[in-house]
Amino acid sequence: MRISTRGRYSLEALLFLALEPGDALHNTRAIAEQTGISEGYLEQLFIPLRQKGLIVAIRGAQGGYRLGKNAAEISIGDILRVSEGSLEPVGCLANEPCGREGECASRLTWERLYSAITECADSITLADLVDAYEPIETEVHTEYAI
Amino acid sequence: MKLSTRGRYGVRLLIDLADHANEAQVTLASIAQRQGISMRYLEHIAVLLKRAGYIRSIKGASGGYSLASDPSKIVIGDVLRVLEGDLWVVDELRSGQEENALQRCIRSMVYDKLNQRISDVVDNLTLDQMAGTIDPDSAYMYYI
Repeated sequence: MRISTRGRYSLEALLFLALEPGDALHNTRAIAEQTGISEGYLEQLFIPLRQKGLIVAIRGAQGGYRLGKNAAEISIGDILRVSEGSLEPVGCLANEPCGREGECASRLTWERLYSAITECADSITLADLVDAYEPIETEVHTEYAI
Repeated sequence: MKLSTRGRYGVRLLIDLADHANEAQVTLASIAQRQGISMRYLEHIAVLLKRAGYIRSIKGASGGYSLASDPSKIVIGDVLRVLEGDLWVVDELRSGQEENALQRCIRSMVYDKLNQRISDVVDNLTLDQMAGTIDPDSAYMYYI
């Protein structure tokens, strides 16, 4: 039940942008340096995120990317739905009904799992991650120093 | 973020056996027919479930499969872990593997919580509860 690399990298890139001051623009080279994700991959990840308004791209020599909304208004669920396509644990709940819905004893369980995942992902925002970040960064730097 | 076909079909196989617990032995052919799953695939899953002790088989002309324990004792989370390997939303951190601060923050704030919520659902659910959700004989009628 893995989140794809695309999903994990999207979360990392957006957390990086959320940690920066609101209006600051970052080009893919700067984001790549900080996240360790290649520039080419970042550009791919950013296409759907931009289409959904989660990030804004400004063209030009001084251009770059920033969040499209306040970090408190972007949930983890919003990001993962863009990068993963869907948060359904099985393909048959909404997107591809299999035709056995009426006699499927598993469906209720998969629905329960789906709503647990959705509730959890929608209850966490990028702002929550920003709040949690600082002590974690200190911890990581201390470990490297040792 | 999907369960595999193996996980989904394995659960259906067990539900089918629970629904037909009054029959001494259930053949994979009859499950294949009822569930619309290929025989070959069921055989493959049955090996895994038998090895893990969830089902037992009787060989011979009147042979087949039955549940090895009471459906109320079979936890769906355990079954899914046998079939899926694990239910984590990301790979576990290997020893010596380093994470940057972004990754560690997301792991503790997102992945760990999702893992917990998923486990909460499947570990508090037993086979008898799933099998009880649909009456196998009247399901077709209900649907009409």
